[in-house]
Amino acid sequence: MENPNRQRIVLAKVGLDGHDRGIKVVARGLRDAGFHVIYAGIWQSPEAVVRAVADEDADWLGLSLLSGAHMTLVPRVMELLRSAGLGDVQVLVGGIIPEQDVAALKQLGVAQVFGPGTTIDEIGHFLRERPNRSHPAPAESTAKGDRNTLSRLVSAAARGESPDTNRLPAGTAAPHVIAVTGGGGVGKSTLIGKLIEVIRAAGRKVAVLACDPRSPITGGALLGDRIRMPSRPDDDSLFIRSLATPSGQSGVAPHVDRMVDLFGRFEYDTVIVETVGAGQGDTAIRDVADVVCVLVQPETGDELQWEKAGQLEIADIVVVHKADLPSAEYVESQIREHLNLPGCRPVPIVRVSSSKSIGVPELWDAIEEALESHGSRGTM
Amino acid sequence: MSQSQPLTADQPRPPRAKADPAGSPFPEQSHTTVSGRPIKPLYSAADSAGPHEEVDDERPGQYPFKRGVHATMYRGRLWTMRQFAGFGTPRQTNERFKFLIEKGQTGLSTAFDLPTLMGLDSDSPRATGEVGRLGVALDTLNDMLALFEGINLEQASVSMTINAPAIIVMAFYLAAAEERGFDWRKLSGTIQNDILKEFHAQNEFVFPPEPSVRLACDVIEFCARNVPRWNPVSISGYHIREAGSTAAQELAFTLADGFHYVDQCVARGIAVDDFAPRLSFFFNSHNDLFEEVAKYRAARVLWAETLRNRYGARNEASWKLRCHAQTAGCSLHDKQPELNLIRVAYQALAAVLGGCQSLHTNSMDEALSLPSEHAVTLALRTQQVLAYETGVTNTADPLGGSYFVEALTNELKADATKYFERIAAAGGMIAATEAGFFRREIAEAAFAYQREVDARRKLIVGVNAFVEPDEEPLEVRNVDIQVEKEQIAALQNVRARASKTEIQSCLDDVRRAAATNQNLVEVIIAAAKVRASVEQIMNALADVFGRHEAKIA
Repeated sequence: MENPNRQRIVLAKVGLDGHDRGIKVVARGLRDAGFHVIYAGIWQSPEAVVRAVADEDADWLGLSLLSGAHMTLVPRVMELLRSAGLGDVQVLVGGIIPEQDVAALKQLGVAQVFGPGTTIDEIGHFLRERPNRSHPAPAESTAKGDRNTLSRLVSAAARGESPDTNRLPAGTAAPHVIAVTGGGGVGKSTLIGKLIEVIRAAGRKVAVLACDPRSPITGGALLGDRIRMPSRPDDDSLFIRSLATPSGQSGVAPHVDRMVDLFGRFEYDTVIVETVGAGQGDTAIRDVADVVCVLVQPETGDELQWEKAGQLEIADIVVVHKADLPSAEYVESQIREHLNLPGCRPVPIVRVSSSKSIGVPELWDAIEEALESHGSRGTM
Repeated sequence: MSQSQPLTADQPRPPRAKADPAGSPFPEQSHTTVSGRPIKPLYSAADSAGPHEEVDDERPGQYPFKRGVHATMYRGRLWTMRQFAGFGTPRQTNERFKFLIEKGQTGLSTAFDLPTLMGLDSDSPRATGEVGRLGVALDTLNDMLALFEGINLEQASVSMTINAPAIIVMAFYLAAAEERGFDWRKLSGTIQNDILKEFHAQNEFVFPPEPSVRLACDVIEFCARNVPRWNPVSISGYHIREAGSTAAQELAFTLADGFHYVDQCVARGIAVDDFAPRLSFFFNSHNDLFEEVAKYRAARVLWAETLRNRYGARNEASWKLRCHAQTAGCSLHDKQPELNLIRVAYQALAAVLGGCQSLHTNSMDEALSLPSEHAVTLALRTQQVLAYETGVTNTADPLGGSYFVEALTNELKADATKYFERIAAAGGMIAATEAGFFRREIAEAAFAYQREVDARRKLIVGVNAFVEPDEEPLEVRNVDIQVEKEQIAALQNVRARASKTEIQSCLDDVRRAAATNQNLVEVIIAAAKVRASVEQIMNALADVFGRHEAKIA
């Protein structure tokens, strides 16, 4: 069972500086020290960082700056955190920060500044010694549509709690749940990033649950899916949550159904679930999703990964991703052959290239069609 | 316990604290290079024999140049002492250049600020807080004129560190030279213009990999025809190493980048001997002295062999890998910062023993801020002591024939060759780049190194060993926030006086040319002359090329 006290930290680089050696080392190190690390990437605006903290219900925010722009950008982040009602999130700053600026940053409420030569153990000790973020009990603040409330409720659901949802509005009918699954490196997050744009253009309100593996030994996780999705900090109809997922056969975090229910109450009509993608037969996803999209990609080796994975059996739609690669056509014909066995239901195959922006609207059309023909799982 | 009696399984391991009372206080310290390469206690003739055992025949100045690109090396010509400088407004950097020339520096090297490196103008909302901070701000041709005001561009050797907008900065430089009456054919210097390592390591890219490489090759092609003494690219391992790579990765990825540029230029129909002599390199000079020396030697051999055998280059100049070196910024620390002086001196020694053609020595305060004038002077003096007092310049390749260095040279060559095979297996440079192959390899090496440091298997004096409890902070300099205001005012002044219609028409030409195979340098020079800004030209290019998002961790 997930440790309810597991600390979540969002790590990001703000501004134009792309020197990400330090932050990537810290991200891996904190994962190995048992933390859940959400890496938001380089070139982040203060607005995007604060949005990530809100959606991820983070206890900590770690900012890395080597550009010298810390006295411009960090105060901006602190101000935005406060105005987003996230003033209790503790902030760390790492990078090249002169002595006199360290004092000024702490004055602004930064919990600690770590310079060159800091060990990962020092950072880990510091995080552990500080009390966890004092999240107000979710049920106490149930203002309709409040992002922070939703975020805390999602965390509670992820921990297996059954938050008192009686005071929440009934919301919309059960959201449509679309699962995106497939082996590692097949481009699930990138494709979801493109789908988000199409779904938002269609006027739907969308939530993403991105599952990444959790170490069975340390319990730590490095959650990096959201880096490949658009940040859209001004878009209140997009919510992205990364979920540390125990290793095992399921490929999805536990209690996704409870989270889906919460999103419905906050009027999200579409929920995309990204599986871990270890390549097992992710049958658990079949139980929570209305439509399962299985991604395969043209392989360079002899063996076709999807054959081993046996994932095609759960597919409502097969997506040949990276379809700009030369062997896409061959792979598609192989799959068609495989799926055209007698007694199998017809499964649409869509070729998509996220990098070349080909096929994404067509995929969305196929998903909508599948939703209509299968119907929803019904209200919960 | 002595070294000659290794522990065996049936001997109990002694308690750590008493392990070696006469030896190292750090018994866990590993006997590996800074890159994690295991090193034997002793090397002898059997280790150093190359695959062809032709060591005796090797001479500096002769193919494959393992022992140096010139026959007499530093006896004939000292390396160029080239300190990277730039901050604030073009006028302020111009003053720093003149200060460095007065102190005896022999080449100029320009650092641009982050907005310029990312192709943004100083008044872009994304530039807030970053203008003039890490380098000089450059928005229009007027800034380029101010930057080199009073400096004779036919005499000075000028280096400019810029990548994604390199074609624009080169166009500005050429336009400025023309406006001041200098002959392009007499200009000498280097523009970094190496976009591939930005995707691997430094993250200052704007356009997707393929059009980015096209822009780099447009500069190479244009310079080969019109600016023959200019180095149109400085193929850089420096940043790959700074991002945490091993020495072998730095070597392999840099050369692979170089081969990709050669492939692309050859594919355009340019004869290899028409551009290869002007391809230059830029390597890191890190702490591990012998491994670094071996890296430079291996680089020269691999380049020479590949250019001759794979690309069929016949001009000897095409085979020669000439390189600039810079001491490793990532090795500097903010604890006991004077120790950085000592690190830099050893790293400079490695670069010189490795046979570099020019050198930047970092200032001791760079882990704290932009360097002070005092620190910059000391850094330059470090090179002068090395050049004029130590005697290392008296003979070429003084470490040649060392069992250890020859063995390391062979090992690094073999490691690089294995990486070339892996890159090819990943579908070549662009496919491997897009798949994040280089980024993953580098990130893994960086993490492995940090683990070694955290466990004190790798020691850093003043940081995880020999720590001083109380330290006086060094005096650091800060960029005046006035700089941003001044630079924006100057830009807006230029904008107000420029003709919007002329600019628009030039930008249309840029878009049209970008959509074809036409070399873009000329149309960008035209845009520069009517005072189109860096960002305006970047945006015109992005209209055609699109932008590359930072989606791979």
